[in-house]
Amino acid sequence: MNRASLHFLLAALVAAALPLFMRSGTLASEVLIFAMAAAACNLLLGYTGLLSFGQGIFFGLGSYAVGLTLLHTSLPLSLALALSTLAGAVAATGVGWLSIRRQGVYFVMLTLAFSQFFYFLAYTFKDVTGGDNGLLNIPRPAIGPFTLGNSWSYYTFVAVLFLFVFAALQRVASSTFGRTLLAVRDNEERARAIGFPVRLFKITAFAVSGAVTGLAGALHALLIGVAPLSSIEYHMSESILIMTIIGGTGNLFASVLGAGFYVIVSDLLSSIWPRWLLLLGGLLVVVALFMQKGLWGLLERLVEALRSGRKSPVEAPVRPESEGRGI
Amino acid sequence: MIYLFQLVNGIGLGMLYFLLAVGLSIIFGLLHFVNFAHGAFYLLGAYLVYDMTERGVNFWAGLLLAPIIVAGLAALTETVLLRRIYHLPHTFHILVTVGLALVVQELVIILWGPVGGNVSPPDALGGVFILGDFIYPQYRLFVIGLTLVLAIGLWWLLEGTRLGAVVRAGSESTDMVSLLGIDIVRVNTAVFALGAGLAGLAGALAAPIRGVEPFMGIEALGIAFVVVVIGGMGSYTGALIAGLLVGIVQSVMATLWPEGARLMIYLGMGLVILTMPRGLLGRA
Repeated sequence: MNRASLHFLLAALVAAALPLFMRSGTLASEVLIFAMAAAACNLLLGYTGLLSFGQGIFFGLGSYAVGLTLLHTSLPLSLALALSTLAGAVAATGVGWLSIRRQGVYFVMLTLAFSQFFYFLAYTFKDVTGGDNGLLNIPRPAIGPFTLGNSWSYYTFVAVLFLFVFAALQRVASSTFGRTLLAVRDNEERARAIGFPVRLFKITAFAVSGAVTGLAGALHALLIGVAPLSSIEYHMSESILIMTIIGGTGNLFASVLGAGFYVIVSDLLSSIWPRWLLLLGGLLVVVALFMQKGLWGLLERLVEALRSGRKSPVEAPVRPESEGRGI
Repeated sequence: MIYLFQLVNGIGLGMLYFLLAVGLSIIFGLLHFVNFAHGAFYLLGAYLVYDMTERGVNFWAGLLLAPIIVAGLAALTETVLLRRIYHLPHTFHILVTVGLALVVQELVIILWGPVGGNVSPPDALGGVFILGDFIYPQYRLFVIGLTLVLAIGLWWLLEGTRLGAVVRAGSESTDMVSLLGIDIVRVNTAVFALGAGLAGLAGALAAPIRGVEPFMGIEALGIAFVVVVIGGMGSYTGALIAGLLVGIVQSVMATLWPEGARLMIYLGMGLVILTMPRGLLGRA
């Protein structure tokens, strides 16, 4: 079995196992929704080397798009979700196109500034977005013959979409396009010298990432029935980025781990101690400094230790070229 | 008259943005370190003044102490943690400082609560300044005056002193400066503390104007980024021009379209990037 199918199998296992040990379908859905967003962030960070603080823009726009469509038109759910995906892709193309005009640190600062821009945009046009209150009372209509009112039936719908999106992202990552992104990440100058249209590739990576993140945002708005202003805030971008980094940027499944960890721990801790983000900030520092392969790296070492049994521990094998690097 | 009022407001605001951004800028110039915790130092400066005035400490003492405490904390962070990661790629600087900023923000909420508060300007500057038709709060005039003096002082520090020469030389090549027998490690700490202290001072000065709340740090970080993207990292003049420009645009727009004033800053940045990808001063 090759790595990609192994990772897909693991993702399918997670989707199947979540209902077994989660008490609420809402929380389980949230895990898979953020897993999509984190995997999309990973496509930029792990595969293209673009650290984007703009993921919240696409997430928030997806939320607003699905909400506005369902509230103001009679279009079916499938079209509303398609519009959200499109909204994410279009915004990401624009933000990507402008941000990659600068490289390195400036690029990162631009994505953060754009994230502030869209936040103020949503905040300013209260008539459309509901401002601070968010867009309320978003319905969750049936899709074809399936009603989604029950939280576990909605979970099933999210899980199917999640697996579809995960497989699609894997296809993108393993395609010639995806492998060229790795070349751009590892040495942009060389990729350009060889003749790859580096800018176009980066913008396309942004568009794919934005589309998936927009869909995730839409599913989140349907889940909670609201498109809140917090979905488009800096904090959303930060959370998605943190999930991605905690999971590890080596492969797409690592993002599922990161999102699962973030969502479940935040659910456990936020009821006990609302200021748990303090610990999260500390954890981010630790991961960045000492655990650059994230939770996935930890898992890899665990498996390695189990395999080698009593034999002296072996260094983890060097990553193959097609794999993303740690951060 | 309303435009003159807003213009003066914009200059005050712009000078605060300058203080904020120039700190970020000189830290990047010398250390090539990307500090996403810069907004957190601004936040701390504001809250320290808030805390001290709430406890009945004289505002002036607070204004003096807050940036010094912030600079001290920054020097400590630099010595314990940050200097160990200078050699790593920028991504690591960003992640570590984003983590630190989150820690500071949550600490602020733990210590002072999530709501925020107001800081009243000192009694001596509580009134208004009247010149014919022109009526203006004295505190805001004081901010403009003080920041102007500081800007000149900072320029002299960077251009006219030995430390400044080391900083400018270090921006070109830290190795060369070390070879000349200068303890660059100490200079790094000093510059980091100076940059953070300036952010703390900007926060402290801004507190009586805009109040304090836990998320002002991230807002300040966004604005500082806009300023350095427009003006160029590592450039004193760039930070000054871009800071004033952003402040004035925001203030004037506040009259024309109050809700959209902050939106315009970012829209303006988009335009600059579109037309002049290298920023106003055309540096890399």
